[in-house]
Amino acid sequence: MKVGIVSFAHMHAHSYANALQSIKGVEFAAIADDLPERGQAAADQYGVRYVGDYPALLAEDIDALIVCTENARHAEVVIAAAKANKHILCEKPIATTLADAQAMIVACRESGVLLQTAFPVRFHPAVQRVKRLLEQGRVGRILAMRGTNRGQNPGGWFVDPALSGGGAVLDHTVHVVDLMRWFTGSEVREVYAEIDTRFHDSLAVDDCGLLTLEFANGVIASHDPSWSRCASYPTWGDVTVEIIGTEGTLSLDVFRQHMLLHSDLSGHTTHENWGDDMDSLLVADFIRSVAERKASPSVTGEDGLRALEVALAAYESATSGQPVRIG
Amino acid sequence: MFRVGLVGCGTIGSVHAQGYTRMEDVELAGIVEVREDHGRAMAQLFHTTWYPTIEALFEEAEVDVIDICVPTYLHRGYVETAARAGKHVICEKPMARTLADAQAMIDVCEENGVRLFIAQVLRFFPQYRKAYELLQAGAVGQVGTVRTTRGGVFPTSWNDWYASAENSGTLIVDMIIHDFDFLRWCFGDVRRVYAKSLRGRDLNRLDHAFVSLRFENGVIAHVEGTWAYPSGFQTRLEIAGTGGVLEHVGDEEMPIHLSLRERIGRSEGVAVPESPLAKDPYQLELEHFLACIQSGAEPIVTARDAYEALRISLAALESAATGRPIELEVRS
Repeated sequence: MKVGIVSFAHMHAHSYANALQSIKGVEFAAIADDLPERGQAAADQYGVRYVGDYPALLAEDIDALIVCTENARHAEVVIAAAKANKHILCEKPIATTLADAQAMIVACRESGVLLQTAFPVRFHPAVQRVKRLLEQGRVGRILAMRGTNRGQNPGGWFVDPALSGGGAVLDHTVHVVDLMRWFTGSEVREVYAEIDTRFHDSLAVDDCGLLTLEFANGVIASHDPSWSRCASYPTWGDVTVEIIGTEGTLSLDVFRQHMLLHSDLSGHTTHENWGDDMDSLLVADFIRSVAERKASPSVTGEDGLRALEVALAAYESATSGQPVRIG
Repeated sequence: MFRVGLVGCGTIGSVHAQGYTRMEDVELAGIVEVREDHGRAMAQLFHTTWYPTIEALFEEAEVDVIDICVPTYLHRGYVETAARAGKHVICEKPMARTLADAQAMIDVCEENGVRLFIAQVLRFFPQYRKAYELLQAGAVGQVGTVRTTRGGVFPTSWNDWYASAENSGTLIVDMIIHDFDFLRWCFGDVRRVYAKSLRGRDLNRLDHAFVSLRFENGVIAHVEGTWAYPSGFQTRLEIAGTGGVLEHVGDEEMPIHLSLRERIGRSEGVAVPESPLAKDPYQLELEHFLACIQSGAEPIVTARDAYEALRISLAALESAATGRPIELEVRS
């Protein structure tokens, strides 16, 4: 199977590239990028061809693409790729508008290609284990969930609203909302949010927020998507979900498999993670779905759309000062 | 020498009683307790006298200060009785179940020329005090977001009064008012409150609440309270700023863990963590209040502070009930 990567704008392209190189039966065929320098550098790094911008890659005989452009360019690339009959793994958030996300889903459906949203956290063994514990009913009925996905300001195009579509709330809401939807099997019905820019001066996007959610099945939840980790914080950030059920509680801290390194080199303490690499588990899953000609991927474009919808509702709530209903 | 009369000797009342017995120049003059057997046992334990009513205490004992540790909805009546008898008042948090009661308590103490202190004890906990001091020193730069967690298993009590939303106001009024008061101390007044809770969902002794606060100074705070854990009690505090992150995880800051091998006649080998202090926060708080009576100084936490914390709690309750964000008018 031949797979290409469109754009190294998003840093996750590197871990996907590494994953492609380690999966048997996969040929990491080529790289497209609208920035020749960036594309060529990546091509040199991974020993593959740089072909120019994405139309050149679509003309090639490849089976699947991983799309890591800036958020706002996902729709253009994905729709063109669907028309060229390529299966697609698209970085999150799926798009910056619901209309774009919907058009991407329709284009892929019409061409009969897979569209998978890159929600790697679902594939982490600790998360898989939590899903099983919940399916076994170990905590009874879920009543409440508390999520966090904090991080540091990624800078670059992430803080250019024309390219990113939003700041911390868009960047860091979708992973955890996806987990919460998956865990509950229910959709977010109502979103309230406080959103602001408080950590970084003169940033054109938001860098912190707090979402309060209610699901269609009555589960209540909160989520913190802030870029609130200082430069000397021991790690980049976190993904946590705590679940309150009728029979008990279940606490998930995805990156807890770490040891502490106290180092005079860095001048502070760092978390040294020894857990599994979820990005390569995600890519392996996508490749398997393509290879087995599955009718739909493990995590769909629709899943990406639902998570995006919550993030966009959060912005709407913060603007209006009122809770926003979905659906 | 202060002579203190204690009204209500349940969980918190007995902690206060112990505090008084450890102080020099303080005499625990009597314990008023509706449960006679329990009251007599407590009186014996703390070497004082049991009285069935506050009136009986006033008739037979000389007291300067009344410390009220009865359930919240009963505070106002006892405060009024004590104030009218000319006694200074220390009253357990939450101050009252309604703002009208809270204001009446402030008024009656003013009218009768006695001091009123509300035991918002979190300001006397060394870890929270340290956090406050670090903030004052600018240790994390400008604060952006704050997160607190408090809670554990559903509390058991006399008359199971915590299970009555009417009487206790749920954990939003009874428990996370601690965090509301602490956050007001650190960040000033709250502009807007939004909350979700499990109240009214026909759950048997399970409650959980998420409260979203926006402060006048822009800080966004997430205050979580739970009575939904199978066991235990935990507190957490995280303050994130432009130049640092301060994290407090209560159960990871215990210097002692005693773990015993299982034996016949002894239950499981559960590790029991302990964090001993030279003086517990309750004693520090009570000593501070008595010192304020002596000197006439303003306390670290005033009755007005306690009133404002209650206002946040009640706004959160209202938001959870109505589904609407509640804007708080700024007073003062």
